[in-house]
Amino acid sequence: MNLLNIHIISFIVMLHTIAPSLPADNFTLITTTTQYVAGSTIIIEFTTTTNKAPLLYVSNSFGSTVVTPTKTKTVLRYTIPKIIADKSGVVHWRLLATSKQLQGEFNIMPQQKVSSIQSYLGPPSIVAGGKDFSMLVTIPTDAYDNPLAENTKLAIKHQFLNKQQVDTVTIKNSISYKNIFSPKKTGRIALSTSCLGFNSKEFSIDVMPSTPTNFTINYKQYHKYADGNQITTFETSVITDEFQNIVSDGTYVAFFITTANTSILKTSGTTLNGVATARIIHPDHADSWSVQAFIEGMASSNNIAIDYSAVISDFDIVFANKYSDITVGPLKSFMQQMIPDGLQVTLEIYNNTTKIREILQKTSAEGYVHFTLKPNQFPKGNYTITVTAAGISKSVKNITL
Amino acid sequence: MGININILRSALVLSYIAIIAVLILGISSVFSYLNTGADRSNMLHTEIKKIEQYLPKIEWAPLRNEGRTIDLQTLTAIETDYLDAWYVKHVAYKTNTTKGIDDYYTENARQSIFDIISNNKTNSIYVDGTTLEHNLNLDFFSEDGQLAVLTDSDVVAYKRVYHNNTLVLETTEQSSYKIIMLLEDGFWRIRHIIKQHTKPYNYQNIKASQHVLDIKGINYYPQDTPWDMYGENFDTSSITKDFNIIKNAGLNTIRIFVPYADFGNANINPKKLEKLKIVLDLAEAHQLKVMVTLFDFYGDYSVINWSLNQHHALSIVSALQHHNALVAWDIKNEPNLDFESRGKTLVTAWLTAMIATVKSVDKVHPVTIGWSNAASATLLQDTLDFVSFHYYEDLGDLDTTYKTLKAELPDTTIAITEFGMSSNRGLWHPFGNSEDDQAAYYKQAQTLFKLYNIPYMSWTLYDFTKIPKEVVGRLPWRKQTQEHFGFINQNGETKPAFKYISKV
Repeated sequence: MNLLNIHIISFIVMLHTIAPSLPADNFTLITTTTQYVAGSTIIIEFTTTTNKAPLLYVSNSFGSTVVTPTKTKTVLRYTIPKIIADKSGVVHWRLLATSKQLQGEFNIMPQQKVSSIQSYLGPPSIVAGGKDFSMLVTIPTDAYDNPLAENTKLAIKHQFLNKQQVDTVTIKNSISYKNIFSPKKTGRIALSTSCLGFNSKEFSIDVMPSTPTNFTINYKQYHKYADGNQITTFETSVITDEFQNIVSDGTYVAFFITTANTSILKTSGTTLNGVATARIIHPDHADSWSVQAFIEGMASSNNIAIDYSAVISDFDIVFANKYSDITVGPLKSFMQQMIPDGLQVTLEIYNNTTKIREILQKTSAEGYVHFTLKPNQFPKGNYTITVTAAGISKSVKNITL
Repeated sequence: MGININILRSALVLSYIAIIAVLILGISSVFSYLNTGADRSNMLHTEIKKIEQYLPKIEWAPLRNEGRTIDLQTLTAIETDYLDAWYVKHVAYKTNTTKGIDDYYTENARQSIFDIISNNKTNSIYVDGTTLEHNLNLDFFSEDGQLAVLTDSDVVAYKRVYHNNTLVLETTEQSSYKIIMLLEDGFWRIRHIIKQHTKPYNYQNIKASQHVLDIKGINYYPQDTPWDMYGENFDTSSITKDFNIIKNAGLNTIRIFVPYADFGNANINPKKLEKLKIVLDLAEAHQLKVMVTLFDFYGDYSVINWSLNQHHALSIVSALQHHNALVAWDIKNEPNLDFESRGKTLVTAWLTAMIATVKSVDKVHPVTIGWSNAASATLLQDTLDFVSFHYYEDLGDLDTTYKTLKAELPDTTIAITEFGMSSNRGLWHPFGNSEDDQAAYYKQAQTLFKLYNIPYMSWTLYDFTKIPKEVVGRLPWRKQTQEHFGFINQNGETKPAFKYISKV
């Protein structure tokens, strides 16, 4: 509903309905070629009897434009600009004459000559064993960046160890592709493509080992004594995948140790040339360990047992200065040598109701540990002292502080 | 004196407080101004609202591609970037600028576009175009997810080619393309695009399976909310009351309007659509048929926005096409009034595109355009199922006008979808028509309609009190005329013309 313009519009519309009767333009297409190769000069010609020079509309894959002609007496020549003539695909044209609009199309084929090969390879590393693969997609293009014609043959060459292979693929949907499946051995696959005598640069795919398989472990130690000082080293066998490829360096191996009282200790190492090593300090008391290693979620080892013997059978406790200076030692090792520094010694002080008053911890130095009790800390009374070292406890009762 | 000192003191204290207040207010507003935009979430541009700027019809073929199986998220990303690539290209060719091209075309591909732009710029050529339909097929998706090959078949593209600012060609083409896209820094960019086929697109009109025959109707707006039927004051009880009046008056059809912007432009506001459905449900309950007029208050016609208009129309048509009350679609009210300001070729091309859009979904209900006068009524008649025009001229000429038109279109139903007379006698129109003149007008009109069996729809049921300025402008004499077209006056009383609302 709009009253504003009714009258004006009815007048305008009446003007429009009077169609002008124009003299018929007379244009005839001369050009018969409908197939061109990209980059060639394309000229569309018409004969005409009038002196009019209408524009020619052309539209290709990327866009549209109009072309003005050059005229020689009775012939109109439209030179298709390079922006259109260089790109492959169907080109639609229409002569923008006032009466009958001639129209048609021609096809621009890509050149049968390769100027560059764009390749897309991915993923760049695959797992050995023949299940995993990488895809090489190649788009050979001509000098005008047009993908080559469908069904053009292309050689995809790949080399691995002493084997070279050439596969022939054809261009489909303007591209060609080949899936390269992994061999059973690790290494590097080199690839290249060639098309119509043009060779691409080299590409490579790294073939990585597959998942590790179960392995064995053993241990090395300098002695079997629980001196809390020496180190036991665990070592795996050479860990491989199912195709005997050594697993990648840096594969993480975790060693789980179950002690006699079922606590769990853990140490770990990463592989180098398939072998992982891990270290752990000896216990400071007699113990029996059970050790198993895991590559989490993938592989595990056998179970090994390690026994540690006690190094100290007995030690003396010497009191001085009214029981306030306590000397533990000498602490002697398996050959009666002074135990290496660092053995942990614990001193516990009980009163008569067996309630612990204090716990002191020290580490040995040159085979001895000295404790000094401050008498002011303790109410007068009788106490019991317990000294623990290397899993052995000794008590002295009725000490008056 | 003592009182004066106290007054002085309190004045001093109060002015001190006032100065401090003003100072604090000033400092705080400076502080808050300096802090605008410093919000961390804004700083990172994490919240980017997607603006719908390009929504052509898009159809994916079932996925049977070579290479890797594609996931829906990647497919959506490809679709979005592919359509955006078309959008930026349309804008680039229209303005001959290169903005946005870098984001959607690879370095080699964009060179081809830049070449065309510079050529067109040099030769004063520009192309205003859009695409309305894409049919995509995924041919290939690479194993590493970085390369995709698509076929886009039967892309319907509309173009207006200008040379030296003169329109030299208006064309609709249907083309198929092969496209290679690469994923580069988060964007799917077009690497190659090769046109496979192209042909001029000729819209093949399919006549609607239903016909419009016996329309005795009225253009309907509620009395309180004319031109704003689906707003806050949407009231089903007053619509029910009105439909009773219309039905009891012997009418069988109403014509209603769907305002484009009010309904949410491209993306239909579901609440508004729900209200529209309620109106149709109520009409069905009262055995009334409804002619739905689309694109009311829309006057842009910009080629780049056609896909949005199409999206709007598709949403409404597909929501209502199976409604029992629906009788016909009116593409747009009086579009011929926009010929002067927007250009006749542009408006008719837009109308053709929208007719095709509506008919692509609804092949049952007839489609028409409510031309503002009989002279325009022959336009686009090949694509319309029946002709409708509006008649506000002298009734004495209607006989001739109708006969002339009927002679031109002997096999087409011709309906008058708006006619009426304003009983506008008053301050602004001292010699205007009285209510009796209006009654005489309707009597004469009904006599003619009966004589020639013309389907009709009068304007309108009510005298309105508020006329939005968008309808007839701000001038009070125009508003006053528009206020008095009703059969029922502003106080709710029937005017003499009501006797002739549906019969002589």
